[in-house]
Amino acid sequence: MDHEPPPETPTICCRSNFVFIDRVAMEPMDIVGRTKEDASLPKATMTKIIKEMLPPDVRVARDAQDLIIECCVEFINLISSESNEVCNKEEKRTIAPEHVLKALQDLGFGEYVEEVYAAYEQHKLETVDTVKTGKWSNVAEMTEEQALAEQQRMFAEARARMNGGATVPKQPDPEPQGPQPPQPSLNT
Amino acid sequence: MRHPGAYSGLLAGGLSGKTGPHSLPLARIKKIMKNSSDEVKMISGEAPIVFSKACELFIEELTKRAWMVTLKAKRRTIHKEDVAFAVINTDIFDFLVNLVTENSSKSEEPQPVMKA
Repeated sequence: MDHEPPPETPTICCRSNFVFIDRVAMEPMDIVGRTKEDASLPKATMTKIIKEMLPPDVRVARDAQDLIIECCVEFINLISSESNEVCNKEEKRTIAPEHVLKALQDLGFGEYVEEVYAAYEQHKLETVDTVKTGKWSNVAEMTEEQALAEQQRMFAEARARMNGGATVPKQPDPEPQGPQPPQPSLNT
Repeated sequence: MRHPGAYSGLLAGGLSGKTGPHSLPLARIKKIMKNSSDEVKMISGEAPIVFSKACELFIEELTKRAWMVTLKAKRRTIHKEDVAFAVINTDIFDFLVNLVTENSSKSEEPQPVMKA
């Protein structure tokens, strides 16, 4: 068998960490041809998530962790592309959670759908709870004036928090700082 | 310092605004989604949340499968090869096969692929 490589493939020679392609030294990362800035997931968070799933005495080698992270990014890429397709088919312009769930189903991750959906519903409930006034659940019924007033109120609250209550915010009504207990009337 | 307020929980990412179970940052997920394709449209605010949970489940499955490989080999440390093995042996992880074999070939001298 002829050992000479076919003319169209570049000669690859490996010396230390650099790979020479056609005698041009390239860093291993360049070869993969990544043109876009690659966002990855934060290592620390990922490490914690991984470890939480295992018994405490099981260790994960660093290269294994890195590989899991890469796999996760690839997973997001895959589901994103599929969600995009689903979204296109429905002729919508924004990728919504429903599209993602359908994508998961289509790609064989149907087992995840139930849990993911439950978590999504839970999140929706939690966000309504954490908003103090709960008025946002009726956001569609608010007029613009009401929404503006609500916004102003929240800004004022935030300002008051920032100032630590030391300076009086611009309010026409100079109320005394802090609640005062009702003064008992003295009947002498 | 006082409680950061209602919205910081959302911005910090994750399904629970509390510092309980760790969750992936939504902004980062969104960035990866946008990188995945040139044609990606607008992404609803809630989509990354769904992704976050899906990723956790994915990580769980991959990690546990890799760990089973480690257990069989009677080791207590999960190595890269265990992860690769788990990927290769799981149908739905087919999309990762190239990724794990590409990784394992980096550590060896690359062999020119010759098709007879």
